[in-house]
Amino acid sequence: MTFAWRSELLKIATVRGQWVSALLATAAIPVISFLVVSTGGLGSGESSTRGAATGTLAGLLAFGAWSATIAAGEYAQGTMVTSLTTVPRRLTLYGAKLSATATVAGAGALLSAIIAWLVVLGVRAPGPYGLGDPASLASVLLAIVTVAVIGVSVGLITRSPSAAIALVVVALLLPKAASGLLGGLQPWIIGASPDTVVTELIGGGHLAADQTFPAGALAAALSMVGVALVVAAGGAVAFLRRDG
Amino acid sequence: MTTPGATADGQAASIVVQDATKIIEGVTVLDGVSFTARPGRVTAFLGPNGAGKSTTLRAILGIDHLTSGHTTIGGRPFGDHRQPVRVVGALLTPDAAHPRRTARGHLTVVATSNGLPRASVGRALDLAGIVPIAEVPVGKMSLGMRQRLGLATALIGDPAVVILDEPHNGLDAAAIRWLRVVLRALADAGRTVLLSSHLMSEIEVISDDVVIISEGRIRVASTMEEFLTAAPSDPERMPLEERYLSVVGEL
Repeated sequence: MTFAWRSELLKIATVRGQWVSALLATAAIPVISFLVVSTGGLGSGESSTRGAATGTLAGLLAFGAWSATIAAGEYAQGTMVTSLTTVPRRLTLYGAKLSATATVAGAGALLSAIIAWLVVLGVRAPGPYGLGDPASLASVLLAIVTVAVIGVSVGLITRSPSAAIALVVVALLLPKAASGLLGGLQPWIIGASPDTVVTELIGGGHLAADQTFPAGALAAALSMVGVALVVAAGGAVAFLRRDG
Repeated sequence: MTTPGATADGQAASIVVQDATKIIEGVTVLDGVSFTARPGRVTAFLGPNGAGKSTTLRAILGIDHLTSGHTTIGGRPFGDHRQPVRVVGALLTPDAAHPRRTARGHLTVVATSNGLPRASVGRALDLAGIVPIAEVPVGKMSLGMRQRLGLATALIGDPAVVILDEPHNGLDAAAIRWLRVVLRALADAGRTVLLSSHLMSEIEVISDDVVIISEGRIRVASTMEEFLTAAPSDPERMPLEERYLSVVGEL
């Protein structure tokens, strides 16, 4: 598993488009946070930590799109044959892809959150609204890793980068865009969406009652991770059935 | 280092295909295919387009499912080997490397996946004669160079078994001669070489055994010498191309 994991990391490192995309995704949160805070878009009562997380949705979209190309790209490029003949144990290969992508996404998210926090501090003095709890920015890492796992899995299921990207983007944006159609499920679905989970865990985001997970922020985070695990299991089943 | 002709745990590395049958949407692609490719010999795997050659090779490598039957390498399914690159080197398509990755990058990825030392990358580049283009992205290489990279990939783990599907495609005369020497050396060192190709003149020169598949069924499985001798009563050898076409019915 370790060798396969290293190999998957090398796959990302040896294709410029892959690591540049990961770098751009890492820049998304600080850039958006800077724009929001520097233009006065952050409420006067909101903490610096909350300000650092304002670009979370952009980061989720960027890392989600990037991760969606990891496995799907191998099918599109025809390179999956090499992967299957060098690491023939499917679950080992799948696990290596998931963990390598999560590693890069996690490292990117951590770096992203730290830079965003420092940027917000540089742009706006903490003042009466306070620093907030910087440790809660770990929720950004959790959300991005979760979305990265979903992206790899969806890519493996669809085998098409464009379809996988579209599905991940829709999954991140549609619940809020179509919240009126969700009825009583609205707080359960929107409340467990990655962007909302980050807001709930950091606090101070002024979420409406119908967008707040009824069972609390921790349960929302667990639900989000649960959904990712279910999608990952679906990816494993698809991989074993079609390529096993 | 793997003992030539044996897997890492010392098993003789024959390729055994036993009663392999594959049915896709009601169409029988492979129909009870059985043959053995043995260590120390180059086995030619011949057949017309669509005969089932590539499907068989993919089944041996665990890429395609069989409806029934089984395949083993060194006594066990390919996927059960702990360091598969040390057991089997495969070239199934010249387009198995990412076009934006360099040759060195591609080989490093493969070596890392099986815990091979970094030095194996340099050796494989050298063996395939692609050191000068090691830093060139695969997408900018000619078909012949991509075939050489595919061969470097197949040989990077010094495997006991080599499986090559149409390795002559895109190779120039010098590269074909180089491949002939390499494959002969591999077999002479005790490795198992299974080779699919349409280049009959080359196959005739290099192969010890021949397996012919047509319409998903094995038509011939014998030594090349026996196959080229039309009948026991007629010791005169026939060219492989004539014998082959007489078997697959394209004359």
